[in-house]
Amino acid sequence: MSSNTNTVEYVKKDLPASVNKIGIALLIAGLLIIVFSYFVDNTRSAFNNLILLMFLTSIGLGSLFLVAIEYLGGAVWSTPFRRVSEFLAAVLIVVPIIAIPVYLNLHSIFHWTHTDVVAADPILSGKSAYLNETFFAVRVVVFFALWLLFYFLITKNSKKQDETKDQNLTTRNIKLSAVFMPIFALTITFASIDWIMSLNPHWFSTIFGVYYFTGSLLAALAAGTFIIVMLNEKGYLIKGLKKDHYYSLGALLFAFTNFWAYIAFSQFMLIWYANLPEETVFFMDRLHGSWVYVSIGLIFIRFIIPYAGLLSQPSKMNAKNLKFFSLWILFAHFYDLYWLIMPSYSKEGFVLGWMELGFPLLAVGIIILVFSIKSKKENLIPIGDPKLQRGLDFRL
Amino acid sequence: MTTTDYRHEPSVVEGRPSLRELDEIIAKPLESKPDKKYFLALAVTLSMLGIGVIGLAFSFYYGTGLWGNNNPVGWGFPIVNFVFWVGIGHAGTLISAILFLFRQKWRNGIARFAEGMTIFAVMTAMIFPAIHVGRPWLAGYLFPYPNQHSLWVNFTSPLLWDVFAVSTYFTVSFIFWYVGLIPDFATLRDKTFSKIKKVIYSVFSLGWRGSNRHWQHYEMVYLILAGFATPLVLSVHTIVSFDFAVSILPGWHTTIFPPYFVAGAVFSGFAMVQNVLIFIRKIFNYEHIITLDTLEKMNKIILLTGSIVGYAYAMEFFTAWYSGVQPEQFTFVNRAFGPYAWAYWIMASCNVFFPQFFWIKKIRRSIPFMFVLAVLVNVGMWFERFVITVTSLSRDYLPSSWAYYTPTLTDFAILIGSFGFFFTWVLLFTKSLPVVSIAEIKAVAEGSQPSHKDH
Repeated sequence: MSSNTNTVEYVKKDLPASVNKIGIALLIAGLLIIVFSYFVDNTRSAFNNLILLMFLTSIGLGSLFLVAIEYLGGAVWSTPFRRVSEFLAAVLIVVPIIAIPVYLNLHSIFHWTHTDVVAADPILSGKSAYLNETFFAVRVVVFFALWLLFYFLITKNSKKQDETKDQNLTTRNIKLSAVFMPIFALTITFASIDWIMSLNPHWFSTIFGVYYFTGSLLAALAAGTFIIVMLNEKGYLIKGLKKDHYYSLGALLFAFTNFWAYIAFSQFMLIWYANLPEETVFFMDRLHGSWVYVSIGLIFIRFIIPYAGLLSQPSKMNAKNLKFFSLWILFAHFYDLYWLIMPSYSKEGFVLGWMELGFPLLAVGIIILVFSIKSKKENLIPIGDPKLQRGLDFRL
Repeated sequence: MTTTDYRHEPSVVEGRPSLRELDEIIAKPLESKPDKKYFLALAVTLSMLGIGVIGLAFSFYYGTGLWGNNNPVGWGFPIVNFVFWVGIGHAGTLISAILFLFRQKWRNGIARFAEGMTIFAVMTAMIFPAIHVGRPWLAGYLFPYPNQHSLWVNFTSPLLWDVFAVSTYFTVSFIFWYVGLIPDFATLRDKTFSKIKKVIYSVFSLGWRGSNRHWQHYEMVYLILAGFATPLVLSVHTIVSFDFAVSILPGWHTTIFPPYFVAGAVFSGFAMVQNVLIFIRKIFNYEHIITLDTLEKMNKIILLTGSIVGYAYAMEFFTAWYSGVQPEQFTFVNRAFGPYAWAYWIMASCNVFFPQFFWIKKIRRSIPFMFVLAVLVNVGMWFERFVITVTSLSRDYLPSSWAYYTPTLTDFAILIGSFGFFFTWVLLFTKSLPVVSIAEIKAVAEGSQPSHKDH
């Protein structure tokens, strides 16, 4: 038993300056389009802003979940690139800022914020103990506070370990992750109920939190996978990552693509079969007009295509294929959120124009910038982690 | 704070036994004659089975009027027991297939037994729909085959999907179990001195010689079967949940049912595996193979799945209130405070409250505590199915048809019989086949893994 197991050689290399430039360019381009679109059509922009908010929450919170689940499950294979998820989780710091324009436009997005409408509707007045602006705001603050708290606590220990190599920090993070799990489950559920399900305040589905969680996990995994493969190819990560690691990432993407299909099917099947009007309204909206094409497209984009593309064993190990499908899945998550949110804005058919362009640009810009800022300050490898060598030795 | 060393992977098998020692200790129960205690245990389970047989005989003679099922509550004990036993089986497939795909090495010590348990649990479960149809000798018509009576099945009924789901599940689980047994049959064949046993083991080992090529094929088949079995873990209990959820009955119709049923099934299955393994590791001296670490990991999964179940209860309650639909709201208030409140609170405390003790490491590693908690989990999970089935039916949309369901002695006799049936199979299994996979446990013994350092 050697006392110093981390004999791995890691020399920190800074990301090329062009990454930062691309990030800033996308950020500015996105912001310009967004500011302009807010002037042209406030409501439509607010709805798009909500998609952006949910998308970035997915990336940030999903990545934090991935970090926590690694500690909790005692996984070693993902340790060499856990920092990628930690950096992505930093997106959570930006998310409250994205929420501000949504909050300013609450009345144009959420039907239930109009007290006169609620008073005239017995169902909505029954829900007003939960769906009211004050409680809504309190919940939003609580969610953000909890997420940021756990983000700082967990990543602080991880960062500290780079220098001290103290194994107790791992133990501490395992405990933190265990406490985080139930909090994560409840907050992500109620966040999805508040921000997506309540767009149609009459509709309800008990599985909805699981649906959003699955999509978020996929988005975080996909963003992580893309970055890991890119960095590894360019030599920014530690030497020793093999196709076994790639395979594991691909297998998780594949597994949760299937799990998403299972959850989405369960929700659709039960609502379709029972055919109760208070529940079918959700799918009726999405089968109405040109939305039906978006709905059919969702099945292909979110399930069938990534399923086929990641099914075989070699496809999960091929770097090119993995990069393509992680970008694909990221797009699919955005598409899914569009499908969940936009029918509340435009009932007659889907809308797609330049106004829908600014928000994804901003999302990508934010992710790149957050990542490049974090990677400047911190190591890309958790060099003090006791599981690092085991992670590098990992073979299928 | 005690320091754990994360730099080295803890071995699944403790005490560095040699491979030969592993052969010997796992094969020992098969090579030695059963002792008095074994026969005593068998006598108990066979008596329980006998009680069930008597209950069934009376039911066939006098008819199902002997059961407590009444007009609104047409689904009484038979469906409750069916769902309970199908659920018990789920841990086996989860351990053998999903944990295999997740490369959890600690599963190797417990997979064989859990898989065997899956098969026995599904066999036990299948008794109930068969008797519940009233004329089990006509149950063959549940399969869609063209016949002279022009009887055809209703493909839109989830009860029919159950027939396909459960029979597929049984078939795949059985093949999976058998494929895993092949190398062990060969080991036993080579060890035994009895001529009859040698013939039997030779037949079942399919000419296994342990060559490199055999192993390559074996590993490939095992991986593919694990891939097949994984969606089955989800599909079977999903279909079982559809039995309830596709209807429009409040308390049954809710979209979270599929994943919630699957989590509940894994929850109860793990509790059952843990319960029986505690005895097996003690009686057969497998404490170094099925270690305390392994049991602790199982307890963590019980805590996780129990919390998922708790999450589902909470979501159901919240959404019932949030939906603003009066019958939904009534159903859930009725569950918690109505005539079946006693059953509801047994369920909630056993499934959600008590498993939270597993947050404490000392309790996770204490055999008596974990045993009691796992028993409570199974009690709770049986009551969960009771609460779902009975409370929703006994008070449906039409108050004039409300009725209280009381199970009869015959119902209890059949329930006891199902436990007898299940545990008789378990007992026979422990004495006729290796309850731990010899081949798989060798793969996780210390020193068996090749080092990759030189690659």
